[in-house]
Amino acid sequence: MSSEPYLLPNGRVLRYSFRERLVHWLAGVSYVYLLLTGLAFWSPWLFWIAVILGGPTISRELHPWFGLVFVVGVSLMYSMWHRQMKETPADKAWWASIGHYIRNEDDQIPSADRFNPGQKLLFWGFFWNGILLLLSGLILWLPQHISWNLRFLRLAAVFVHPVCALATIALFIIHVYMGTAMERGAFGSVIRGDVSRAWANHHHHTWYEQLLRNSAERK
Amino acid sequence: MSQAATELIRISGHAGVVPGKGLNREFQVCKLVDTTTCIGCKACEVACLEWNGYTFSETTFDNTYQTMPETAWNYWNLIKFNEHERADGTMMLLMRKDQCMHCADPGCLAACPADAAIVQYANGIVDFQEANCIGCGYCMTGCPFNIPKFDPPSRKVFKCTLCNDRVSVGLEPACIKACPTGCLHFGTKSEMKELAETRAEQLRTNSGFQDAGVYDPAGVGGTHVIYVLHDAKNPELYGGLPKDPTIPLSVRLWKGPLKWIGNFGIIFGAVGVFIHYLRFGPKVVKEDEQESHGGTQ
Amino acid sequence: MTNGWIDIKNTDMMLIMGGNPAENHPCGFKWAMEAKRNRNAKLISVDPRFTRTSATADLFVQIRAGTDIAFLGGLIRYAIENNRIAKEYLVNYTNAAFIVKEGFKLPEDGLYSGFNASTSAYDKTTWNYQEGGDFSGKTDAAISAHATPAPSHPATPAPPALPPNVAYDLTLQHPRCVFQLMKQQYSRYTPETVERITGIPKDQYLKAVDLFTSVRKDGDMKKVATIIYAVGWTQHTFGTQIIRTAAMIQLLLGNVGRAGGGVNALRGHSNIQGATDMAGLYDSLPGYLKAPVPDDKDLATFLKRTTPTASKPSVWDSMNYYANTPKFMVSLLKSLYGDAATKENGFAFDYFPKAGQDCSWTHIWDDMYNDKIKGMLAFGMNGVMIGPDTNKNINALKKADWLVVGEIYEDETSEFWRAPGITTEEQKNIKTTVYRLPCAGFAEKDGSMTNSARWVTWKYAAVPPPGQARLDQDIIAQIFLRVRDLYKKDGGKFPDPILNLNWAYADAAHPPLSQVAMELNGRALADLKDEATGQVIKAGQQLPGFAWLKDDGTTLCGNWIYSGCWTEAGAQIQRRGTEDPSGMGVFSNWSWSWPANRRVLYNRASCNPDGKPWDPERKQVWWNEAAGKWVGNDVPDFKPDSHPKDHMGPFIMNPEGIGRLFAPIGVLADGPFPEHYEPIESPIKNPLHPDQSNNPLVKKFNTPYDKFGLPEEYSIVCTTYRLTEQYHYWTKNNPMNVQLIPEPFVEIPVELADEKGIRGTDKIKVISARGTYIAKAFVTRRLKPMMIDGKKVYQIGLPIHQGFRGIDEDEGRNARTPANLLTPTVTDPNAHTPESKGFLVKVEKA
Repeated sequence: MSSEPYLLPNGRVLRYSFRERLVHWLAGVSYVYLLLTGLAFWSPWLFWIAVILGGPTISRELHPWFGLVFVVGVSLMYSMWHRQMKETPADKAWWASIGHYIRNEDDQIPSADRFNPGQKLLFWGFFWNGILLLLSGLILWLPQHISWNLRFLRLAAVFVHPVCALATIALFIIHVYMGTAMERGAFGSVIRGDVSRAWANHHHHTWYEQLLRNSAERK
Repeated sequence: MSQAATELIRISGHAGVVPGKGLNREFQVCKLVDTTTCIGCKACEVACLEWNGYTFSETTFDNTYQTMPETAWNYWNLIKFNEHERADGTMMLLMRKDQCMHCADPGCLAACPADAAIVQYANGIVDFQEANCIGCGYCMTGCPFNIPKFDPPSRKVFKCTLCNDRVSVGLEPACIKACPTGCLHFGTKSEMKELAETRAEQLRTNSGFQDAGVYDPAGVGGTHVIYVLHDAKNPELYGGLPKDPTIPLSVRLWKGPLKWIGNFGIIFGAVGVFIHYLRFGPKVVKEDEQESHGGTQ
Repeated sequence: MTNGWIDIKNTDMMLIMGGNPAENHPCGFKWAMEAKRNRNAKLISVDPRFTRTSATADLFVQIRAGTDIAFLGGLIRYAIENNRIAKEYLVNYTNAAFIVKEGFKLPEDGLYSGFNASTSAYDKTTWNYQEGGDFSGKTDAAISAHATPAPSHPATPAPPALPPNVAYDLTLQHPRCVFQLMKQQYSRYTPETVERITGIPKDQYLKAVDLFTSVRKDGDMKKVATIIYAVGWTQHTFGTQIIRTAAMIQLLLGNVGRAGGGVNALRGHSNIQGATDMAGLYDSLPGYLKAPVPDDKDLATFLKRTTPTASKPSVWDSMNYYANTPKFMVSLLKSLYGDAATKENGFAFDYFPKAGQDCSWTHIWDDMYNDKIKGMLAFGMNGVMIGPDTNKNINALKKADWLVVGEIYEDETSEFWRAPGITTEEQKNIKTTVYRLPCAGFAEKDGSMTNSARWVTWKYAAVPPPGQARLDQDIIAQIFLRVRDLYKKDGGKFPDPILNLNWAYADAAHPPLSQVAMELNGRALADLKDEATGQVIKAGQQLPGFAWLKDDGTTLCGNWIYSGCWTEAGAQIQRRGTEDPSGMGVFSNWSWSWPANRRVLYNRASCNPDGKPWDPERKQVWWNEAAGKWVGNDVPDFKPDSHPKDHMGPFIMNPEGIGRLFAPIGVLADGPFPEHYEPIESPIKNPLHPDQSNNPLVKKFNTPYDKFGLPEEYSIVCTTYRLTEQYHYWTKNNPMNVQLIPEPFVEIPVELADEKGIRGTDKIKVISARGTYIAKAFVTRRLKPMMIDGKKVYQIGLPIHQGFRGIDEDEGRNARTPANLLTPTVTDPNAHTPESKGFLVKVEKA
């Protein structure tokens, strides 16, 4: 872990650094655009979204570019977080008590490190689906360069792309719900970057403890 | 808007009603290409180019008489040349005019997400409306015949219109008009089918082509361009004419089950989290619980 | 064409050989397809290559280029052996029964009787009919006794003439009757021999000849076969004889004159037929009248030489239509010289140029190379590209003082000095002054075009010529008027033909082609009256047809066969009537067909001797006993009131009245029956007579460019051809055509490519003794290696379209080599056509 002082002088805890927040929103904003334009192409009933976003042609034009931005965001997240996102033996126990988590019986669930296993699932879900979306997306972006002999690639892409997109949508719904409505204080952490000590202790106890130990060592 | 708009029986990427849905016109148009009397003169290619006002492009000799390897966004009509040696050692030079087949069940239209970028008229013509085309190229993937082609500068996809502009004022398509040998015919689907079957029968009984037949593939609901082939059992010989074309499985899965599963999933997910909130509410952190979180170590 | 394009739809069988109509006549080829679709007609394609015509054929056989006579001769043998001949037709409508003079010898050794080795020419005295009467079943001695003995020492050796009273044997048994001689001649053309020569395996050959002759199975006359050819037959040193063999087959099988039959030449340009009709060859005049020669001291001598007298069995009748030659000739002279042509001056016959030498194409260029010709007016053609041996032609032009080219493009002829290989330094030394005159394109001029079916059709200009471009006739008129002014001013050696030329056009500097067409039709110069009908044509009126022509100077006619094209009733050539009551595609009211709007020539032969059609379902003309005349769906090509019992021959243009299986004196230079000779460059010696391998009458030129290759070095047979996508040397200037066929190529067999390590699209060199052609390889299975007389021989083919000026050429996308760099300057002794098909080359990777 970096030497950045996570325990802030004002008594709060730095949850996400500026760089992390920036990357999060880089991926987040581009994903929202991708989601909206993607939904417009997904169903005729949502085609109006593309109209609102500047017209279907522009949507089609920009969707792949936003996709690249999203991929850059995901890549940066990977480089920043992939170590912290590693599955640990403790994760199993956490998953075993997921029911408690859902029912807000937080005292019944194992303590979490900086990222709890649910967040890890979100991360890896977006990461792997992101790779598949990128590959299928490249084919869908420039179908004219895929020769007729390699047509199976195009056929695979038209199926893989929406399947992966749906998977990310599922993750996205949960992520947004938890980040805004469910976990009070979480949204602030990706905006201002800090959380209260209580919040850190409550949601990421293991991490918080470690912060305290680090801080003590430094002193 | 022309009256033809009320005779649309299919519209791509369309959420509302289709004005002509269920409309059954007495006559469906059909182009018959009798490959056994085609002489590969390419008059149809030139007529197509001239009628549609496209300019010439530079081509390269490629060990064939064929103008280019496949149709292009601005070259909708291409005769495919294939040398074929029969089992008895006799040569054949198979010449097949390649163009949009105007499927009754068009894969391009099924795959297209853009509202009214592809329409199907009651007379059977499948037409691209480039003004509505968003350039996604899904039609290229949906087509089992490799017909729609992308034009990078305009970012639109183009293909043969069956001369919808001519047909709608009672003229035959330009290629038909130009054909010197009468290898191309135009009329109603039933007439053309009959003519084709008669010719195939003639080839079987008089010309020794036992496998002569009509190509009107059922997998795409039949086509509004049909072929008479010397060897209907091996359409692949004619420059890769698919034996049993269908709308590709992945497109059908994508536009069928996946669509319903996805829609259900998204709605279920959104409603689910809402209900969760109503039932359990937010996770609240008491500010005084600092340091006291016990957890189950 | 004896018949016409549309008429092909009436056929049951097509032999397409020496032509590739699907590619080169795609619009006309629709009728071949109609015949297949509607009549189940069969199509046999015989070609060195599997072409797009072959693609639609029921049977294709690959033949070695230049061996067509062997193929067709074998077909004659097969038809006779298997009784697939039209016996009644043969006896009555051909000279099968005529007895040939004693002393006539068949070419077992490659030479007919009368060959003079020192002059390389034939004394054709024995190529004649025996004089006499009916010798059916009689002996030779009886004939000899009956014949008038020739004077042993004639005072002046009169040119041999056909006897008026021909000996004949209607049983066709006499050993010297034409039928027996023909049978004997082609008995040597066994399927085995044909295989050795043509490379067509015996079983395939028998399949082809069996299929073709199946129309005359057991002598049944109902079915009809047609033979269709183009320049694949003419461009040989024996081209005329190939076509004659076809004509003989069609006579033998009774197919001439019938709907769906005939011998049909497909013309390679829209108006080549018209050019030929208007004296395309130096030795003919408009309407195929013979051209005067220096020996023709005056009109009378000329007419005596060129007007035939009937020669027939005494009991038969012969119309001998060319007996009217004086009327045609005098009317032609009147059209040329107008009032200056009077009875007293022999209608100005003396004005006529009288060529004393061969002035055909190759001789012109050879003469120019040898400094005998100093200048050239080149209109409507691209001389450097058309002729054989491009190098020789370019070097000939270098020696000319001046060259005038009327063209719509910057062509190879006007830019011969820019040919590949000519350095800038060398260009400076070329002294030829080139004048390039911008002409009008086909859509920019009106006038008539005569198609292969002999239809003379008027067309209208679509747009005016652009910029400074002018109509050809305006340019020619201006040249003429200026030359005439010079003669007027300065006099000259013999100004009369120029000063007296009839130039009575409304606007002398811009002669309207409608007036030229009217002049060709002819008009009365005095009041004329038909005594039989009482019909009167007033002086100055257009003539209704050539039957009104007179030899006394009271009619004027520019081309007798075109008489009827623009009458008092109007421009027949502008008619657009689409009525076809017979359903046979006659379309009598659509434009106008020479002669006399007849659509099928010799159509009397479509009936049996009693005047009843051979096939009642395809009635063309027939004898109407009640009316006492011939009537029909077409204009009868016959004396309208000649009763069948008079037995007038249906081939009214021959003095015999019949079709010639045997071509007697004066018809052809190189033999009364066609004989197979090898092309000048051939991979083998002629298996029939190795010591006389080539046509003995072929002459070679003596310039350094006239080199010939031997099979030891040049082992590959090469032929040239055209493609659908391009039109001659023009369309290489049109982006559309260039898109369709972007580059020159050479079609080579897969086996040859493998042997040489050549892959498709590789650049290769084709080298003949005369030049090198560079293009990309088109490796194909449509040309297969052949076994020729026990030797494996490859054939290759190359399209002629590209040269050194054009879109690709100017962009440097090809090697800028014209195909005719390879071809030799040797010609057919009858039609003077160069041998562009079947010469020897070798192939190398470039």
